[in-house]
Amino acid sequence: MRVGIPRALLYHHYGERWLAFLDALGVEAVVSECTTDEIITTGAFRADNETCLPVKVFSGHLLWLMDRVDAVLVPRVVSQEHGTCSCPKFMGLPDLARSLDPDLPPVLAPRMDLGDRRYLWAREWYGVARSLNGSRVSSAAAVAGLLRGLSGHRAREDAGLPVGDMKIGVAGHLYNVHDHRVSLGLLDRIRSMGATPITVDEVPSRQIHKHAKTLSHRIFWGFERRLVGAVLHWSRTADVSGIIFVTSFACGPGSIVGALLEDQLYREGSVPLMTITLDEHSAEAGLVTRLEAFIDMLRHTARVSRRINALQDAGNGGGP
Amino acid sequence: MKIAVPRMGSLPLIIRDLANRFGLEYIETPSFSERTVEIGAALAPEFACFPLKAVLGSFVQVLEAGADTLVMGGGHGPCRFGSYGEVQKRILEREGYSFKMLILDSPSTSLKDFHEGLRSILPRQHVRLPVLLRELLRVLSKVVVFDEVEKWALALRGLEAEPGAVDSALEDSREIIGRAFSSKEIKEARREAQSRFDGVPLDRERAHLKVGLVGEIFIVLEPYFNFDIESWLGKRGAVVERSVSISDTVYPGGRNPVFGYNDRIVARAAAPYLSHEVGGDGLRTVGATTIYARRGFDVVVHLLPFTCMPEVIAKGVLARMSSELDIPVLSLSIDEQTGRAGVQTRLEALLDLAWNRRRKGRTAGTAAAGEEGGWKVEDKTFRAAQ
Repeated sequence: MRVGIPRALLYHHYGERWLAFLDALGVEAVVSECTTDEIITTGAFRADNETCLPVKVFSGHLLWLMDRVDAVLVPRVVSQEHGTCSCPKFMGLPDLARSLDPDLPPVLAPRMDLGDRRYLWAREWYGVARSLNGSRVSSAAAVAGLLRGLSGHRAREDAGLPVGDMKIGVAGHLYNVHDHRVSLGLLDRIRSMGATPITVDEVPSRQIHKHAKTLSHRIFWGFERRLVGAVLHWSRTADVSGIIFVTSFACGPGSIVGALLEDQLYREGSVPLMTITLDEHSAEAGLVTRLEAFIDMLRHTARVSRRINALQDAGNGGGP
Repeated sequence: MKIAVPRMGSLPLIIRDLANRFGLEYIETPSFSERTVEIGAALAPEFACFPLKAVLGSFVQVLEAGADTLVMGGGHGPCRFGSYGEVQKRILEREGYSFKMLILDSPSTSLKDFHEGLRSILPRQHVRLPVLLRELLRVLSKVVVFDEVEKWALALRGLEAEPGAVDSALEDSREIIGRAFSSKEIKEARREAQSRFDGVPLDRERAHLKVGLVGEIFIVLEPYFNFDIESWLGKRGAVVERSVSISDTVYPGGRNPVFGYNDRIVARAAAPYLSHEVGGDGLRTVGATTIYARRGFDVVVHLLPFTCMPEVIAKGVLARMSSELDIPVLSLSIDEQTGRAGVQTRLEALLDLAWNRRRKGRTAGTAAAGEEGGWKVEDKTFRAAQ
């Protein structure tokens, strides 16, 4: 029995846990290959034309898996944190997946509702484990392992990467930012321009919650709440020189959060903010030009302010 | 204090009633026009869904007309509607308007906040909660009646013997109901409206199509944005039923008195295709389509604003349902660019398709609404089959 997991959407958040779950059951897990042009094209062609880019990419991955596996695992992630909910697309994702192609292998869609009590949804995972021919004991162990893994904090390490002269906050969904093809290698490009990118998942939760709370409106989408908290943290502590907000075409929460952030940062007088919208035919040249301009501008600003400071110091020192 | 509330379908009638009850000073939001949409689209974030833009445009217009307090609904997601108020407030402030914005959550979320919110705009600050609730319940029963007459009009327009007879009955009924104040008067008004509809001459022998109208509430209810699809279909001999109405949305407990199927039945009907709530009207769209298909409707028309998250999921699922349930479904996504001719051409093609299927015997055609029970739109077949 081979179970496929599309390397898209929340795989970038929980992929390791899901793989560990399948591994504990002794099921062979197949993760689709890294996003390629072909996957994006198939996804954009076959998925509903109004869905956002990440869902199209997801569809591409799903179709790639179609002939290679006996079942696909598409968990229904209803919430990622207490007191929040996910984007509606995640709630309906398994149903969208089933509607994609009639020849698709069975879609296993256990619910994952991290904001809710565990026992309410953990039994769905148990059911999936049993349907994958797990024994009672090994199924229970797999589910317990999954729950343990989900409550633990996951630290990202980017050891061994070059450290640049300035930090740039990249605020965007992990499935956009960490997907090399979808983001057109955004993080690597920033690194090659001599700056260090920081993503939302590198900001400590405490800071995120502290700053998200200060916004006049309670953002109810889990990841967007984290994103806003992280951006406010970066901007208020001046931890980064500039922030790039990465959203994808037709992203619903992105449209609202982008507008809120722009306004809030404008009112607070923050570090520079640039918005980049990704779509299935984003051209690299456009992205590179904008990135170069943004980073040049940040460097220029830093230089000018350094010179002004130096002049002021000199002025103060020469006075009586 | 001059209050303004966004408009949608028969909402202005309800606001007028509320204003009379509580002595509110309010300005009627101007009806939607090209100008409204232009203003809204220029100010709103690019990928925001269409209702946000349209309502923003009408807020600008009503602020220019002299309103100083805007009332908007709130929510806790996952639909973007819950954030509309905040985004619109920030945009309008940035544009230099000075106003107060009241974001009212549903009373079932927090009765206290709801009461306090309402109290802050009522001229008589001392309105006690029981009095407020009593009046609101009366308004609610009135809203139900408003929606019921609309439902009758939808069911009869395709069968009317004289063109325009249903529309004039609808107008009269709305006026009769608008005058009613106490619960007794509201019941009386409903009876009067019934007899007014009884008097509409019908051509019961006429061949007609049965069309289900599903989708996002704002687009389905606001004739300016759906290009008055209800009368357009009615004039072409279609008996229409729609899945959303204001009263079903605000009625407590998910009973859906006007639609006729409560939330549980809808969720159960939708379950094979969409088994989880997705916010907004997404689940209802899918459930209603199943119900309409099982009841033998000829076609279903699905209206959604461009990039609406819940309805886009529904749209993806409807594609599969359409083939499995053997019912043509036309999804029309509407935004500021949509043209009347484009929508009507596609609807014409849909109706042609439906007639063709009827001729080939692929759809049996259902009994016309009201053949058994006068004007009543009662169809228990689905519930009996459950």
